[in-house]
Amino acid sequence: MTETTTRSLDDPDIWVDTPATIYDAVPPYPPRTEREAEFYHLRDGEMLLNLGPQHPSTHGVLRVVLKIDGEQVVDLDPVLGYLHRGVEKICENGDWHHAINQCDPLEYVASMFSEAMPVLAAEKLLDLQVPRRAEYIRVLCWELNRIASHALFMGWLALDLGGLTPILYGFIERDEIVEMLAAVTGQRVLFNYLRIGGVNGDINHDFMSRLADWMGRAGKQIETTTRLLNENEIFVRRTKGLGVLDRETALRTLCTGPVLRATGVPYDVRRAHPYSVYPELEFDVPTRTEGDSYARYLLHVDEVRESIRIIDQILHELPDGPVMAKIPRLIRIPPARAFVAVESPRGQYGCYAMSDGTDQPFRLRLRDPSFFNLQAVGLLMPGNLIADTMAIMASLDPVMGGIDK
Amino acid sequence: MDSRLRRRLERAFADRLQGPVNQRQDTTEIRIGAEGVTDVMRALHDDSEFKFEVLADLAGVDTGTEMWVVYHLWSAQSPDWLRVIVGGLSRDDPRVPSVTFLWNGAEWAEREAYDMFGIIFEGNRDLRRIYMPPDYTSFPLRKDFLLPDDAARSPGEGFRHMEQTHQPAEFLRQPVVRRGKDSLAPNRGPRQ
Amino acid sequence: MSVISRPWNRLTLAGKIILPLLALMIAMPIILLVAWASGLLPWLLGIGGQVVTDNIDVVRFLMAATAILLFTVPTAFVIIFMEMKIIAFINSRVGPNRIGPWGTLSSVVHGLKVLVKEDYTPTGADPIVFTWAPVVTYLAAVLGLLVIPFAPGLVGLDMNIGLLYFFAISGLAVVGLMMGGWASFNKYSLLGALRAAAQVISYELPLLLAPVGVVMLAGTLSLNQIVANQAGNFWDWYVFQQPLAFLIFFIAATAEGNRAPFDLTEADSEIVAGFATEYSGMRFGFFFFAEYVAVFILSALTVTLFLGGWNAPLDVAPLLAMLGIELAPAAIDLGGLGMGLLIIAAFGVPLVILGLTLLLAMLFSHWGWIKSLVVAFILFNVIVGAVVGLWAYMSFEVVSGLFWFTAKTFTLAFVFVWMRGTLPRVRIDQLMGWAWKWLVEIALLNIFLTAGAILIIQELTRR
Repeated sequence: MTETTTRSLDDPDIWVDTPATIYDAVPPYPPRTEREAEFYHLRDGEMLLNLGPQHPSTHGVLRVVLKIDGEQVVDLDPVLGYLHRGVEKICENGDWHHAINQCDPLEYVASMFSEAMPVLAAEKLLDLQVPRRAEYIRVLCWELNRIASHALFMGWLALDLGGLTPILYGFIERDEIVEMLAAVTGQRVLFNYLRIGGVNGDINHDFMSRLADWMGRAGKQIETTTRLLNENEIFVRRTKGLGVLDRETALRTLCTGPVLRATGVPYDVRRAHPYSVYPELEFDVPTRTEGDSYARYLLHVDEVRESIRIIDQILHELPDGPVMAKIPRLIRIPPARAFVAVESPRGQYGCYAMSDGTDQPFRLRLRDPSFFNLQAVGLLMPGNLIADTMAIMASLDPVMGGIDK
Repeated sequence: MDSRLRRRLERAFADRLQGPVNQRQDTTEIRIGAEGVTDVMRALHDDSEFKFEVLADLAGVDTGTEMWVVYHLWSAQSPDWLRVIVGGLSRDDPRVPSVTFLWNGAEWAEREAYDMFGIIFEGNRDLRRIYMPPDYTSFPLRKDFLLPDDAARSPGEGFRHMEQTHQPAEFLRQPVVRRGKDSLAPNRGPRQ
Repeated sequence: MSVISRPWNRLTLAGKIILPLLALMIAMPIILLVAWASGLLPWLLGIGGQVVTDNIDVVRFLMAATAILLFTVPTAFVIIFMEMKIIAFINSRVGPNRIGPWGTLSSVVHGLKVLVKEDYTPTGADPIVFTWAPVVTYLAAVLGLLVIPFAPGLVGLDMNIGLLYFFAISGLAVVGLMMGGWASFNKYSLLGALRAAAQVISYELPLLLAPVGVVMLAGTLSLNQIVANQAGNFWDWYVFQQPLAFLIFFIAATAEGNRAPFDLTEADSEIVAGFATEYSGMRFGFFFFAEYVAVFILSALTVTLFLGGWNAPLDVAPLLAMLGIELAPAAIDLGGLGMGLLIIAAFGVPLVILGLTLLLAMLFSHWGWIKSLVVAFILFNVIVGAVVGLWAYMSFEVVSGLFWFTAKTFTLAFVFVWMRGTLPRVRIDQLMGWAWKWLVEIALLNIFLTAGAILIIQELTRR
């Protein structure tokens, strides 16, 4: 390809020459890094395409600047920050209890996991023993929420591939679960249920009857969706062999969760670094070796089955007792540092907390799995067609609330 | 607590460690200086006795007096999280070698630490702001950042769009083409 | 006055033109009837008659084009409603259910909505091309209907090259899409337009090659003649002699109409809305009317070529004759009834309705008498409508032909909608590969096989 410079950021005249610049993806300031300069330097036949922030399938307000040659993606530059609200700063300005509901909307699809972060961190800093019943209820809610999230993932993937129906089937499943969780937490989406030292209120009859009703046909809806997709020739052809991550690259890119496990690495925080009562529960960590979008999709299906297994065990072994440890309302945590991680539906949700002896966190760093998983698009998308960028992005399952924090 | 890990760490990085190896609950903590990051991280990642393959987290910290960069690592060979604290960075010009040569996925995490704390990671090929607008001058997570003051001092303050904040004057003076009174350009944001 | 002027001012230019036309459309039959009754029309025709008879082809074309243009609107409404309801059913949703009984009027209201929506041209767009693109697309979709035989004798223009005309016209649609995509000044529109061009031109080949077998069997390009050749029972339809061609044609038609799973041109999860991204108001409406009309037309053409057109699936007459029953169309001479007709109309109808009311009131005692009366009236209408419909079906070929044609066409339209509800979208390279690597080859093979079969049969019959 001949290197004809059509437009470069170094050229001061471009703003005057092209009246269409107001619609252009080229940022109106000099490049800050070599990488940015290289990216916004267009070669012959290349074009920049702004994908988002208002786009039907960027899963929120993600903006990806694609450099395309025809329909083929040559390079891309994800631009984050449209949903940034500085949750780490907000957490530092409130006390530990406030951090719980500030972290809730981070992962708004499975907020039981993101709200667990300040809770678990504070418990670890305090060396607090949580009642066993509370631990079981937490795991129960986590696994239910995982299924709710995975059910939506399958629909999303299909929706981004143009299938209209699976997303609504996924929402049926999700709706049942969030209604169930709403019966115990009072909220459908942002639960704000976990507390430092336990959970906010014991599970009630409404929840248990809904859960028992749902467990009777658990997975049936998932099977319906998967039957619609697994044997669908178009779906399989569009996802198989697409966006292949190998084991080494996935580890180097810091992918976790289904994205990493689809490459064959059995890294699941529930088993790799056990927390809560997961060591007592019997479940497998499903892995696949293909590492493509289809493997990621199948892995989600397997994980739903494992989650149902866990819920089944919890329902049989749920102990009696209190659901809150006896701790004072106002917690002053002695100076310490702690790192906790949970396995959220998207991967390892981590939290590094520092306390300085006051009732506020000194530093609360949140590690969002989608933030790191999304980084893989830079490796996966180039060389693919625009249509495939959607399938790749959907199969990484990003949630922008957590990515932009 | 993994005492084997502590012994191995003490043996391997005796000259690099700044202070003792702390162990609390399920975490082993070492503290090194900025000059040792490249060697220590490479050794932790590559050596067969460590094999810390997963970088679980990369966090910047402002303690009020100095800057830290905190790495959390996971290895299949140890039940502990390994916390590597790179301490003693000056608040005026914090500089740390990048770990993107080991984990290229650390790029965004380093960009985030740069955006929030102003920590410069040497060797990161794409160290620009990731969340805040490109013309933002403050570092929001520093302890001396007070929200109303610092936000107002930034040129990116106010309700203007990121891309339109710093448009060159010649371009802004260009007339917008309007055809008839009914035509309307509804969206001046990044489009296409 | 403001009651009228305010909504009138809200209308866009397109709306201000189309709404009076609609009103005129409704008023026209009344005016014509009055003119005919008062003797004005025959007198005018007497003067203009010479001109009309001299240019009968032009007049016929204009009449047919107008009729068909007006016919497309309700057709599109029906298909849009069908799509909303069926996809809702597939998605286990309720679907539209507010406006009209079972939501039947929602698509009409959608049509009115696009009339009053703001119709803007984006800065930087080419206004002339931008404005004319939907018109070109819509006309390309509509003019194809001209040669479709709906029923015996009910055809806009019985061309002897009907099939060729159809393909020539429907190939124009992509020009409209390209115009819209190019003039929009938007990269998504441009991508959509380029996809449309690539896709439609690729699928034009199998779409053209597939019916060649049918043409060889029928020996004509006239659609009317092709349908007439399929008369008889359902096993005489060409779909059973040309199953391959039917499949290829149906797949290619799906792609040609930009329908799922080949709706890459407006792939909403990829390129927002493709060529229609920058369109709003009635221009957008034209694009989408065109799409639904295209669904109808492509279904109609498939029915015409392969599924026997207006022929009934079973020819019952010989069957009944075998059983000894003769069903001659009952030639009711209404005039012969004389005063009896008046008496029946004046007293029979109310009496029957009242009798039904009584019956219903006795059967469902919890109903009030008004409800019984209303239900009885509806029931009476249904019964009379069924009887009259049956009589019309048996007496007039047009009615029976129209019935079967519409039934088959909407069944195929249902299949289009069904596919949209079920299948994900294919990728552009898969789409092109499918056309060039499989469909074209199989279509060519089908032509050779058909030619060979025809030759063999001719040889056999000669001996």
